[in-house]
Amino acid sequence: MSKTASYDTAPWARHYTATMAAGLPALNHASVAGMLTEAASQYRHQTAFTTCMPNGMYGSLSFAQTEDMSNAFAVYLRESLSVKPGTRVAVQMPNCLSYPVAAFAVLKAGCILVNVNPLYTPAEMEHQFNDSGAEVLVIMDMFADKLDAIMDRTPIKHVVMTSVSQWFPPVVRRVLNLVLKYWNKAIPVHHVSCTPMDQALETGRRLRDNRGIRVRDYWEPLTRDTIALLQYTGGTTGVSKGAALTHGNLLANIQQIDTMAGAHMADGQECVLTALPLYHIFAFTVNLLAFYQHGAHNVMVPSPRPIQNCQRAIENFPISWISGVNTLYNALLNEEWFNLYPPGTLKAALAGGTALHRAVAKRWQQTAGCPIAEGYGLTETSPTLCFNPLDNARPDSIGIPVPGTQIRIVDEQGDCVAPGERGEIIARGPQVMAGYWQRPEETAKSLKEGWFYTGDVAYMDPEGYFHIVDRKKDMVLVSGFNVYPNEVEDCIALLDQVQESAVIGVPDDKTGEAVRAYVVLREEGLSGMDIRQHCKRYLAAYKVPQSVEFRPDLPKTPVGKVLRKELRAQLTQEKPVAMSPGSNKDRANKDNKEKVA
Amino acid sequence: MLTPIEEALLAIMMVVIMLGMGSSLTFKDFRIALRHPQAVLVGFASQYLFMPLIAFSLALAFNLTGPQTIGLVLMGCMPGGTTSNIFAYFSKSLLSLSIMMTVCSTIGAVFLVPILMEVYTAGVEGHLRIPPAEIIGLLFVLLIPTFFGMWLRKRNPNKGALSELTGSLVGVVVIIFLVVTWIPRNYQLLLDTAPGVFASVILLGLIGFAFGYGFARLLRLDPRKARTVSLETGIQNGPLGALIVIMVFSGSTQQEVLVMPVLYSLFIVMTSTVATLYYRRWTRLEELARDQAKVEPAG
Repeated sequence: MSKTASYDTAPWARHYTATMAAGLPALNHASVAGMLTEAASQYRHQTAFTTCMPNGMYGSLSFAQTEDMSNAFAVYLRESLSVKPGTRVAVQMPNCLSYPVAAFAVLKAGCILVNVNPLYTPAEMEHQFNDSGAEVLVIMDMFADKLDAIMDRTPIKHVVMTSVSQWFPPVVRRVLNLVLKYWNKAIPVHHVSCTPMDQALETGRRLRDNRGIRVRDYWEPLTRDTIALLQYTGGTTGVSKGAALTHGNLLANIQQIDTMAGAHMADGQECVLTALPLYHIFAFTVNLLAFYQHGAHNVMVPSPRPIQNCQRAIENFPISWISGVNTLYNALLNEEWFNLYPPGTLKAALAGGTALHRAVAKRWQQTAGCPIAEGYGLTETSPTLCFNPLDNARPDSIGIPVPGTQIRIVDEQGDCVAPGERGEIIARGPQVMAGYWQRPEETAKSLKEGWFYTGDVAYMDPEGYFHIVDRKKDMVLVSGFNVYPNEVEDCIALLDQVQESAVIGVPDDKTGEAVRAYVVLREEGLSGMDIRQHCKRYLAAYKVPQSVEFRPDLPKTPVGKVLRKELRAQLTQEKPVAMSPGSNKDRANKDNKEKVA
Repeated sequence: MLTPIEEALLAIMMVVIMLGMGSSLTFKDFRIALRHPQAVLVGFASQYLFMPLIAFSLALAFNLTGPQTIGLVLMGCMPGGTTSNIFAYFSKSLLSLSIMMTVCSTIGAVFLVPILMEVYTAGVEGHLRIPPAEIIGLLFVLLIPTFFGMWLRKRNPNKGALSELTGSLVGVVVIIFLVVTWIPRNYQLLLDTAPGVFASVILLGLIGFAFGYGFARLLRLDPRKARTVSLETGIQNGPLGALIVIMVFSGSTQQEVLVMPVLYSLFIVMTSTVATLYYRRWTRLEELARDQAKVEPAG
């Protein structure tokens, strides 16, 4: 059997259940808007979204309300602001009731949604608004002060302002606003002229009634090839660029997630905890879209850190599904209120973003008593490429390709490597993006003959399950030998005194590159020598860090991934990069192509 | 002391506060507290074994007069007050545990306070007895609003959250009110009192905190539970002590004994506030550390 055939014969298919093996069913809808409208009519009276604050205050919207409000906002966009189909509309907010209303409205209006991380610095916002050419911005009041400095230099013409307490019951809303303003001091003063969300909806409803507008007419012309979403991602070059995801990409990925997990979902009865930000592709596709289609109740936590912020949401609502990253599950398992009395309603947990640690997965299964399945994907792939089947999840594995997806492991020349050998993971399928927004050269570098080059190094085991080794560009080349930072970090993590570490390559006269470790200690009493000695016991000599530097913390993305890129940039600090410096938190999605779901 | 109207107002505020505290709880919290029943026992022991002993030693050490000794030992014997629950809430300790300890020690007081007083202050005239009606009243103020708050939260988390917020605001108001109004209304008493008396009432609370914490840690309770025991041990029911003194003694003896519960009540609000702020920061740091911590290896 040729090497190519060993992947293209889909050896993983034997793990497919009957539903998965039947392949990807034909898509029912031409656009995401069609799916949303159908789901809303099916589950009209059920609760669709709830925002739960750390103190337990909450506000909810039913499917019917979500439908009505997003329709009204779509009319406001098209009629009052007179935006054309295909216009970019930026939405910048943490998880709150306004997010689904705004995002759905943009899709229904036939516009292109641009997800913006609310923690971005003004400079990062400016870049993204200009790159996407966004004309309308829906933003939360907590972050509006950042607009003051940059508004004049962006194409944004209209700003709609909302707040985290939007659509909470009136008394609760007022109290919450007082608390946020005077106790948390979270609502800064801004000088941007804007329309409040309530007023925008009011205008939208009035115009709809007066002019007899059918929102259906906006979205019926959309096709699966119409761009729905610009999801920004750092990419290998470091400049943030928008992955253009079509309605077809998103619908296909929803369908793929469905074939993997749908059998475990009871229509209209699930309750999913959304602690990950919806502006991130993982929560966007999985929590917001896939669960909406099934009539699930989505409980959103605006800020999941520290993890106590999720306590009231978990205690007050019958959570049956959780999606999260390794750090979230780890934090939950460290809480007495969770690990002693995990919610009895839990059915399954989905993990992505970064590698799920074996210890976390094992303890989760013991404690929560439900399966935890890890998946893999990227912003550019809507995001899901691989997932563990829920009843056959394997530790340390990203699972098997979701139905309708082809995966290969290739070498530098793009030729398949033998099964079990390491190489770059490439993927083809209906969920792979159309390209980067207005960046044909970048697109050509990542998309070749329909295959998307992920930049991740992985291998396939004899069972057909895939395992991620590391990011290709993070690989360190020591005297011609490949060193994968993950392997060294895992080794250092074995030391109890170590909280976490990051390994990068630094230029070296003798060996080309040398391994350097940045280590955060939980407790004092470990020297660099101790760490090197420990590594020598487990690793080949060339993999042992040549230098060890202790740090109080490491730069990270909002989902908790360590930014090795940032550490490399610090090494060459004399030559600062184009973007103005922000706090680590603010660097957010500037990371490489996000590894998600 | 407070006027009857102020007292009535304070009682109403107490109900509001406990309703708010209750709204922060679920039955799961009580199950967590009960997972270590020794916590309640530790609290009980520090409350009734060690606090009277500490009070008695302090009275000896500072050469207090007979009536002052009675007053101080009586304070040492008192059960935990409702204020301890407020401070437990603000310090982010285990409120459910604090409430259970208050309930247990209050019920225990009916039997134990007369016995202990007999042991430590043998030969004092007057029959020292805790009026059961007081105890029932106390439990009423404590438990009914708590359960009602829990029910409220279960039924409608928004109403629960509003009641919790109201309760904690009223709690802050009451604490500030007690501290601010106490000094002007009692400054003559403060001027007339000997330093040894000040020292003994302040130390009773402080040693109570330290002892409760150390004892709980010794019996392997986690730091958060130990902080709860600490507050519960140090904070005694001052008003109940004052009430008993008024009922049992009369004339100048009453005045002399009464100084102790009254002074204790003043200073415990101040020391508890400091301890609470400190514990709160401590809890916060622990929360952040847990958030970052590595997962324990699966067994």
